Amino acid sequence: MQGLVETLARINGYIALSAGIMLLVAVVAILTDVAMRAYGHPLGGTDELSGYVMAIATAWGVSYALTERAHVRIELIRNKLIPAGRAAMDLISLAALAGTAIVIGWRGWGVLASTLANDSRANTVLATPLAWPQTLWFAGWLWFAVSALLLLASCLVFVIKRDWSAVDDVAGVKAEL
Amino acid sequence: MILFTTSGLFTLLLASIPVGIILILLSIALDTFFSPFPLMRGLGQVVWSSSNSGTLIAIPFFVLLGEILVRSGVASRTYNALNSWLSWLPGGLIHANIATSTLFSATSGSSVATAATVATVATPQGDRLGYDPRLFTGAIAAGGTLGIMIPPSINLIVYGFLTETSIPRLFLAGLLPGILLALLFMLIVVALCVWKPSLGGQSPEYDWGQRMRGLPDLLPVMGLFVTIVVTIYAGIATPTESAALGVVFALIIAGLNRALTLDMLNEALRGTIKTTSMIMLVVIGAYVLNFALTALGISRQLQQLLEGLGLGAYGTLMVIVLIYIVLGFFIETLSLMVATIPIVVPIIESFGFDKIWFGILMIVLIEMALITPPVGLNLYVVQSVRKRGKMADVVAGALPFVLIMLGMVGLLILIPGLALWLPAAL
Repeated sequence: MQGLVETLARINGYIALSAGIMLLVAVVAILTDVAMRAYGHPLGGTDELSGYVMAIATAWGVSYALTERAHVRIELIRNKLIPAGRAAMDLISLAALAGTAIVIGWRGWGVLASTLANDSRANTVLATPLAWPQTLWFAGWLWFAVSALLLLASCLVFVIKRDWSAVDDVAGVKAEL
Repeated sequence: MILFTTSGLFTLLLASIPVGIILILLSIALDTFFSPFPLMRGLGQVVWSSSNSGTLIAIPFFVLLGEILVRSGVASRTYNALNSWLSWLPGGLIHANIATSTLFSATSGSSVATAATVATVATPQGDRLGYDPRLFTGAIAAGGTLGIMIPPSINLIVYGFLTETSIPRLFLAGLLPGILLALLFMLIVVALCVWKPSLGGQSPEYDWGQRMRGLPDLLPVMGLFVTIVVTIYAGIATPTESAALGVVFALIIAGLNRALTLDMLNEALRGTIKTTSMIMLVVIGAYVLNFALTALGISRQLQQLLEGLGLGAYGTLMVIVLIYIVLGFFIETLSLMVATIPIVVPIIESFGFDKIWFGILMIVLIEMALITPPVGLNLYVVQSVRKRGKMADVVAGALPFVLIMLGMVGLLILIPGLALWLPAAL
């Protein structure tokens, strides 16, 4: 189980790095556009494309933030509890997250499915086929649901084993520094 | 329905479920219990359109800029250079704490990273020169909050996005109050140190030659700040474009400092994705809740309820300010801001207040939340960097600055022009 969690964390780390590199590419594209505009030949379309980059980077990044335990939680009560109580709250919190992630993935599929059915294109000069960015976007949220379910399963195993520190490692709150 | 939403929000928050998830769960619950038609069928579309934004991509750019900047090693040089200019003031080194945190957090857009970086550079010197640890550390925590007000500010981008307000105008509105707050912070340090000199410590003496030689060290951060702000205000670039420019600028600074390595870039990029998606999950949640509340007409209900109380515009504003102060003790700042925008801003607008002005007022209140216990992120960060003494020291040291912020809230309400003059004049 620990191996599974570590592998997931490592994969999400590489995903984050790839998303970060995609951001750097967007930086270069945007600046090229600005430079070309100064010479009167704007490239155009970078705003649209950077929107897609943002949506895709977010969709994949939420899984990294999840395995890094970075999603914001209010710890007011949690901090006052004994380890078993904390583990219970972590489990509930992770279950709520996994459930919501599944709903987002399901509704996200609805968006992609209707794009595919209508062969929708963006209402812009580029007329991008929306299926391209939306497939990458949907895949990211799907991966979020998968990551959450894998973590939830490991968390459950640790709870049954009464291994509270392992629960904290998987689903707890990471100190800011 | 109003009771359901607010009580649901607080119960789930206390259950320590991630804030972004709570906002979506709440929307699903509102849909299930109150909506005559299935709202959540639109959930996917709302998630897509709230993150597919060429405006919001400015957020990861500013985060990345900050991640690179704090790893570039310019903090200590900036600190020493600022100190050479400010050390003659009563309170000596403390002014360098405030000025460095202000400048760094303004540019990097991150209060937490700034507080950590400046605390690392400053605390050894403060200890060596015999400063009172309370005021010394409190000043770092407080100075670090100013970055969310002084442009470029990630919080203002989020506010502008969620309330459909112009981000460049919000940036302009934050400039004067932000700088004023920094000056007032320094003023109260002077006052305190004149009244009780033991709060300060030794100030090394600098001559004009040393000050001038320090100027090049100020150039990187100052230059970065000025470039970003001027390109936005002059209308040369959108906030996104100037953020992209800032990233390249920060890379150059790190390169010149020989701090630009693959390892460093790897860490900075991962850190950027982590922070960005953490912010975005909350933003997406707020967008979903916004969608549900608007569809259900809850804002109108709330407004009628508040008007029924007969408090009037300013009475209602006072209640809202008080609620923020109280919530700010307990709730982390971005969540506090984002989770309440869908509910509070329509009310504020219906009473005839300006949305841009309220954005700035809200930022001061959020800044206060960063340095009020028990949940004050900057207090924890500074304490965890200095690794000794008690948390209570930092809390006590931040208190004078909390009072200044309260004063600022009053000032903004009495003189809205403080925020609105600059956007109107340009």
